[in-house]
Amino acid sequence: MRPELSEYPFDWMLWRSLISASRLKHGSEKEYQSALRYIPYFKGVVNTIYNMGSPGQKFLKIIETYVERIVTAKENNRKVAMTTFCFSPALLHAMDIVPVSLEPMTVLGSVMWKRGCLDYMDFCTDIGFSETGCSSQRGSMGAYLARAASEIDFIVIDSAGVCDTNSNAFSFAATYLNKPFYGLNYPATLIDDQTKHYHRDDYRNMITFLETHTGKKLDIDRLREVLNQHAKQDALIHEIEELQMLVPNPMPVTYNFLIYAGRFFFSGVSLYTELLEEMLEIVKQNAKQGKSGLTGGQEKLRAFFIYIDHYSLDLKLWTLLDQRGISHLGNILSRGFSAKAPYIKYVQNHGYQIDTSTLDSMIDSITEINARMPMVRSIRGPYDLPHMWLEESAALAKLLKADCCVYNGTPGCRNTWSNVKLIANDLEKHGFPTHIMYGDAFDERVESWEITSTRLEEFFTIRGLL
Amino acid sequence: MIDIFLNAARTIEPNAVSEEKQHGKLVVGYTCSYLPAEILHAAHIIPMRLRGIETHSLEIADSYYGPFICTFPKCLLQLASQGSYHFLDGAIISTGCDGMRRLDECWRKAGSDYHGSLPSFFHYFDVPHKRESYAISWFIEEIRKLIQHLKTHFNVKITDDAIRQSIQLYNHGRRLMFELDSLRHTEQVRISGAHAFAVSVAGTILPRELFTEQLALFLNHVKNTNTIMGKNQKRLMVVGSVNDDLELIELIEQCGAIVVSEHLCFGIRNEDDLVNETGDPVAALADRYLSNSACPRMFGYFSERLNLVKEKIQKAHVHGVIMQNIRFCDLHGSENGLMEHALEALGIPCMRIEREYGSLTETGRIKMRIQAFLERIES
Amino acid sequence: MTIIAGCDVGSLTSKAVIMQQDKILAVEIIKSKAKPQESANLVLENALTKAGLKLPDVQFIVGTGYGRDHIPFVHKTMSEISCHARGAKWLVPSAKTIIDIGGQDCKVIKLDKTGNVSKFIANDKCASGTGRFLEVMARMMNISIQELGEVSEKSKQPIQFASMCTVWAQADVVKYLNSGFALEDIGAGINMAMANRVSMLVSAIGIETDICMTGGVSKNSGVFVSLERILGHKIKKARKLDPQLAGALGAALIANDQIKGRA
Repeated sequence: MRPELSEYPFDWMLWRSLISASRLKHGSEKEYQSALRYIPYFKGVVNTIYNMGSPGQKFLKIIETYVERIVTAKENNRKVAMTTFCFSPALLHAMDIVPVSLEPMTVLGSVMWKRGCLDYMDFCTDIGFSETGCSSQRGSMGAYLARAASEIDFIVIDSAGVCDTNSNAFSFAATYLNKPFYGLNYPATLIDDQTKHYHRDDYRNMITFLETHTGKKLDIDRLREVLNQHAKQDALIHEIEELQMLVPNPMPVTYNFLIYAGRFFFSGVSLYTELLEEMLEIVKQNAKQGKSGLTGGQEKLRAFFIYIDHYSLDLKLWTLLDQRGISHLGNILSRGFSAKAPYIKYVQNHGYQIDTSTLDSMIDSITEINARMPMVRSIRGPYDLPHMWLEESAALAKLLKADCCVYNGTPGCRNTWSNVKLIANDLEKHGFPTHIMYGDAFDERVESWEITSTRLEEFFTIRGLL
Repeated sequence: MIDIFLNAARTIEPNAVSEEKQHGKLVVGYTCSYLPAEILHAAHIIPMRLRGIETHSLEIADSYYGPFICTFPKCLLQLASQGSYHFLDGAIISTGCDGMRRLDECWRKAGSDYHGSLPSFFHYFDVPHKRESYAISWFIEEIRKLIQHLKTHFNVKITDDAIRQSIQLYNHGRRLMFELDSLRHTEQVRISGAHAFAVSVAGTILPRELFTEQLALFLNHVKNTNTIMGKNQKRLMVVGSVNDDLELIELIEQCGAIVVSEHLCFGIRNEDDLVNETGDPVAALADRYLSNSACPRMFGYFSERLNLVKEKIQKAHVHGVIMQNIRFCDLHGSENGLMEHALEALGIPCMRIEREYGSLTETGRIKMRIQAFLERIES
Repeated sequence: MTIIAGCDVGSLTSKAVIMQQDKILAVEIIKSKAKPQESANLVLENALTKAGLKLPDVQFIVGTGYGRDHIPFVHKTMSEISCHARGAKWLVPSAKTIIDIGGQDCKVIKLDKTGNVSKFIANDKCASGTGRFLEVMARMMNISIQELGEVSEKSKQPIQFASMCTVWAQADVVKYLNSGFALEDIGAGINMAMANRVSMLVSAIGIETDICMTGGVSKNSGVFVSLERILGHKIKKARKLDPQLAGALGAALIANDQIKGRA
């Protein structure tokens, strides 16, 4: 790691960048434009976010607050949990624990800084972590391991049985930092009674772990508040998802990103609810006018991303889609699988219910929410079994009237790289031309965005989609 | 005397298995050391650990698996698709690691593209990654599901008594292996690392009665042999990801060292960990197999594994540790990193090697590294 | 008069050093032949001719390099790691960390107080971080490997290469060439990418000064300077001898030890 990077903590740098970014629009347009001249490497992403309008500004506020909570946790006497994107942070918010979700933090570094999180990734390799491990964790994790970030108190994740690479990264961190570790472990099955019992035992055991390490009992009122907020957020998301099925899709291209990122940061917290309300308003207006959410106003193609997005500097993927008139219909990170979701009856109808009547029912609800988090639900077992990746990808692509499917991930993903060729074949059989991107969502050294995007465009052209 | 073990270790289909097969015995392959083979044995089925040796190209496997995947499951898929595993009556895929568990899907797909390559009994066996009591209950259920599937598919009986007898037989084998291992700890070593490893691999391949009987004879032979090794030789330990490749151990010994211990999922790992022979046999199996945190697939148990390795280093008077892993094995790749730091801090020289599996290993380069490592220890 | 020799048969070049105790009598570098035996015979013969000696005059020969097991005349073989370490220590006595970049691999070696190898790490996963990477890139740019090293000095804005993979980087080089970017900026970018890759290995083993660099690539000033910048430390140059000869030199020095040991 370059020596200068250890001078300033990673999360602190993110926080200061975000504060500056969120203040840029406080002055006049002229002031804004001249400020941009002073941030040549940063203006791309700032522009992209401000072009989202008011939800963009709200989103900036959300991430600023999220990172602020991390860097100020110690002075506010809060415990910090290192965790993963597919772990619902709602419980942590309910227990007044500050989450540091590594993958979304790597996304922030990747889209905001020219150097991305590459130095931190390489630091992991320096200290013995496998170079082929997933870059999504290695990015921000490197900063925490290098002690070039806030100190964490414990690690809590839910990827055992779901993703080895993920679990392995966090257990490595636990050993290296000598911190308490708890990992939820998921069976390949989801809905039978035995599995449900197992989920409950494991989740409750985790709550005990959190109570032990925070010295605080789970507060029933706070949990209820978080779950009520969660239900509200679900309802808003479902309304947006319903409208997303329209042709043209009235949803602006970046909204999927905001929906899932917001969920990973602030599930069950009112800031996220407010963001969703604003987004829904805009989508509704567009829908009323029969307008596409794309900047150009014309929807030429509808693409469903079956895995994750590409987080190159300045959110270039979304700019490319927007410029080419391509609607982004969401990806594996977008859906929560609540029992009320508009698509739930097409994926064997086993969504979670939120029941806030008793403490037990609330813990059961959040357990079920967690078992349906992205990746946890879809890649636990064989991809072509019920409640798994193929079923949901095919159903959603059809429901959303996708013209094609796109896979993007990281070379560190053993799971999907073991069956992406199979699912791509299956989706083709379902009638969806499917493209596999070979790049790394967080590390352009694997394949530059220029090459990745050229190949993507080639796919659109050759398959006669554009 | 070693020949039967060498034959088993060097071939996909050993003579002893073919003979039993001709007498109507069923053979079921499995992929991970967390599968209680006793269950298959109790059903009068030969349990056989699946191996990827004898693979020379991956052209079939690469059309199912993506590029960033360990070559071990790829070799298994290649062999299965090209018909090398024609003699299997069944296969059990465990959740050993992500690359391995996805063999389930890849093999099933290849099965429809390459007629006859998928055995009629095909089972996905889920194994918890933790040891809490509720995880053991889940594991017991998984074992019961496997028993049920075997019973209905093969129309066999699997009684508790039969399982108990199998447990006794397997435990007996474990004790013999443990004894064999102890003969490598002394200053004068009576068995080469390659031969000890061949025995250990054969233990996962040969019919268990035959293996145990032969092992008892072999052990007697080793105890009384006049051949003494290990004098002026560097004593090495091999750890890391899956290896059933005799040639790797032979390569290390060709460089002048002797391998006196290993911590590999095919080698001697925790033979002293016996299954309880009383009580509910399924619960006893679940308890033993899951209490075994020897593999980094069990997340959060690093210090236990480190202690296990340290203990072995002490017992076998190891001079240096070779830590190998197959490329794209994140579990062992980073575990080796942690272990290297911990052991080097204690003054134990370690060397990490990342390689391809089996015959795809780049022997020239590995050999240079081993030589340099030995020169380092000697200096 | 005790004459000893070291012979390093590498993948791209073969090297020989002939010494009389601590004094170098002759050195030779040739392009490796198809068979290691041929390379070994030729390189040693040339060196002997330069020194005015014949094979029987040499008391002890140590062989190293990938072809070491096929050299007919050697008395002992040693791994490149030990030989490079020994050679580098002779060239730069204060060296604690040695970076050796050859045609096919890149090694970083750490020495203890007495000059023994205490740790080493090698990158042989792919061509990135090796001389082969530079060779391929120079060929793409239609310049010599020497020129590639020198262009860095002229560059004001080195291009940042996204990819360290030789295959992908080639595609990027073509793209930049076609877009009319200055040759020196592309070249400097390549050298920088190479230095980045190597610095990861150095960090993995832990830096201890003094650092010295050997192997053919150490002659590339672009990589050398970039590496100094990334590591934040000066790298000592081997001035007494061509740094590409460090392996053969080390082999000769080990041969000398053997003779002394016998005496």
